[in-house]
Amino acid sequence: MANSPLVARPTDALQPSKSLPTSSGGTPSGGLPRSARGQRIAAEARPAMDLMEQMNEDEKNKYIKGKKLGEGTYANVYLGHSRVDASVKVAIKKIKVQKEYQDGIAPDAIREMKYLQKLRGHANIIILHSVFSSKDQNLNLVLEYLPLGDLEMLIRDVDHVRYGAADIKAWMGMLTRAVWWCHDNYVLHRDIKPNNLLIAADGEVKLADFGLARSFADPGVRMTANVITRWYRPPELLFGARHYSGAVDVWSVGLVFAELIIRNPYLPGNSEVEQIALICREIGTPTEENWPGVTQLKEYTVPSDVVPVAGKEKYMGRFGAVGSDGVDLLAKTLILDPRRRITAREMLEHRWWKADPKPTPKHDLPKKTAGAEEKAAADLKRRNGMVEDDDVRGSKVARKLDFGAAR
Amino acid sequence: MARPLDPLGFEDEMCPVCKSRKYLNPDIVFVFNPECYHSMCLNCANRLFNDGPNQCPHAGCNKTLRRKGFRSAFFGDLSVEREVDIRRRVAAVFNQKEDDFETLQDYNNYLQMVEDLAFELVNGSDEKRRQAEAQLAAWEAEHRQDIERNKKAGREADEMSRKRLAAERDAARQRRIEAIKEAEEEKRERVRSREMELDNLAKGITTAAEPATKVQLKRRGQRGGITEPAAPNPAAAAVAGMGASEVERLSIRGLKEKPKAPAPQGPYDPFGGMDFAPSRYKLHVGLAHPLMEKYRLDRQHVAGGYSFDDFAARALYEAFAGLGVFVEDEKEVGNGNGLSQAGEMVAAADDPDRMDLD
Repeated sequence: MANSPLVARPTDALQPSKSLPTSSGGTPSGGLPRSARGQRIAAEARPAMDLMEQMNEDEKNKYIKGKKLGEGTYANVYLGHSRVDASVKVAIKKIKVQKEYQDGIAPDAIREMKYLQKLRGHANIIILHSVFSSKDQNLNLVLEYLPLGDLEMLIRDVDHVRYGAADIKAWMGMLTRAVWWCHDNYVLHRDIKPNNLLIAADGEVKLADFGLARSFADPGVRMTANVITRWYRPPELLFGARHYSGAVDVWSVGLVFAELIIRNPYLPGNSEVEQIALICREIGTPTEENWPGVTQLKEYTVPSDVVPVAGKEKYMGRFGAVGSDGVDLLAKTLILDPRRRITAREMLEHRWWKADPKPTPKHDLPKKTAGAEEKAAADLKRRNGMVEDDDVRGSKVARKLDFGAAR
Repeated sequence: MARPLDPLGFEDEMCPVCKSRKYLNPDIVFVFNPECYHSMCLNCANRLFNDGPNQCPHAGCNKTLRRKGFRSAFFGDLSVEREVDIRRRVAAVFNQKEDDFETLQDYNNYLQMVEDLAFELVNGSDEKRRQAEAQLAAWEAEHRQDIERNKKAGREADEMSRKRLAAERDAARQRRIEAIKEAEEEKRERVRSREMELDNLAKGITTAAEPATKVQLKRRGQRGGITEPAAPNPAAAAVAGMGASEVERLSIRGLKEKPKAPAPQGPYDPFGGMDFAPSRYKLHVGLAHPLMEKYRLDRQHVAGGYSFDDFAARALYEAFAGLGVFVEDEKEVGNGNGLSQAGEMVAAADDPDRMDLD
């Protein structure tokens, strides 16, 4: 308090405060304002810009920025912690000043801030703790620190990470809940993919990166069709639809589901044309019969050979690992016609969640492993029956003598 | 009760009752009764106590002993024997596990307390000993069930760890064998495919690409280790429920609250315990509004999958968002969500349509 710039200013700046209707008559009389209330009153007297700066400064001082965790084209991410309690770790995402948006905040940053605030309070959505700007007007988002990487790392790490149907169900449950929460709050995420699904220390999957999110549009308001990473983009967006619904996210969820099962991207098209071709080949060609009105979409072009819509048997062969209920759910998320596609809420009402196996508790879910390779190697080298005891705590415990074993 | 007996260890060579010595009678067996820890030879014990309870023959000891209570000593020094007996008794009563405690500190404090009690029983003055004895008895009486449970859990845990060790040994051996087998298999496979290729070449079939596309059997997944069921968490004992009594009570701090393991998760709730169904108004299906009707038949809206129900739900939600919110109450509680003020300023300009970027 004593070193806050506000207090350091000459007191004559506080004089106009007499003209303000101070409720309690607690105008700081010459001395330093001791209480927060006093400070607030004093702050109100300052020009608006200074109030903002002061608030920003307070917010900034709550966190200490640490080492850099990663660098992207759009932002740098730093590890940080709270000044009050160093054990509270946060990730500070420092948005880079972008050339195209020098006169304001980049739209993705606005989207991220806006929707993360709106969607606060769900276990499967990354928490935005705070926002502040640092020197030269850089925007900093203080986000929850999620140390265990993302789902993509687990999917790709075929050699070291093994998981089964119960784990897939647990992950899918968390993802679907996140999407349901977004949609029930009338927000479209529009960029669901495994590497936007981060994993918290306790194994909880959290939906992140709301840089492309927006709220549901009113009828007649056009939305851009150029969203969602191509591999996860639904056919209606590929055909240039400008009026769509939460069904676009559901399609992405379905493809994440498929990817979790086969541990490879299901529809990895190299271009939009190829993506459409892949969808037609794997899922079926969209036609007027299975999707009324599709031919009216602006960019409707499909390969000439019409493939009938895949039946459950086709999916069963490839995705059978999750059981017939799971495949049924998958098939419903991959229905071509967005109006008939299952919604996030309906997904959660599906019978698959109730079927065996039960979803793995989040603490027991597979985690990324650093030393998995060494461990596997050591396993083969070790003598039979030698099981290392890595009970760290044991060494610190006072030993209890067992007199019962004497006889 | 006994004072430390024969500190120099001479007496065990001679029966204090009949004065026969090991030297003259090498088969002599010394026994004692844990009532008083006075030793004598087996012959004397049989002779004196055959006809029922009798007084201890040691001068100044007026304990009444029975034949049944006599046993031979495990330790040469009977004071050690006695201490071991006491400690075994204490350990049987205070059989909490480390898992039962919230922190390591609590567990260590508990062990310290138990040790203090045992020490009093072994070495304390008569007064202290009586007190400790009473405490022990009171604890045992009060926590009979917990003690029983821990004892059972301990036995089970022993059993489990024995099984687990055996299973681990087995699994490790299995893994090694499989790794070797796999390597051999691979080698054989390679030789076989090479031969086939050569054969094909010899036959003049040039399908060079075929061997490459041959499906490799995935051996992953067969190797998953044996998953042993996790050791049952011994249900924690509670400290609660201690009534008043004249004996100074023992209380253990940091003992975990009752059972945490048996709380069954119940059926999986896909919604994670949340519900969004509006409670203050009812949403009808197929709501109509002129603004909506204009677009309802628009091909672009239909084919793009635009959801008019979502729009209606949102419109109603936004219209009724303030229902049930009482500004006065909110003021009292204060805005406790810890969001930054700067962040709120952004939110304050929350005009959805204005801020949406296409």
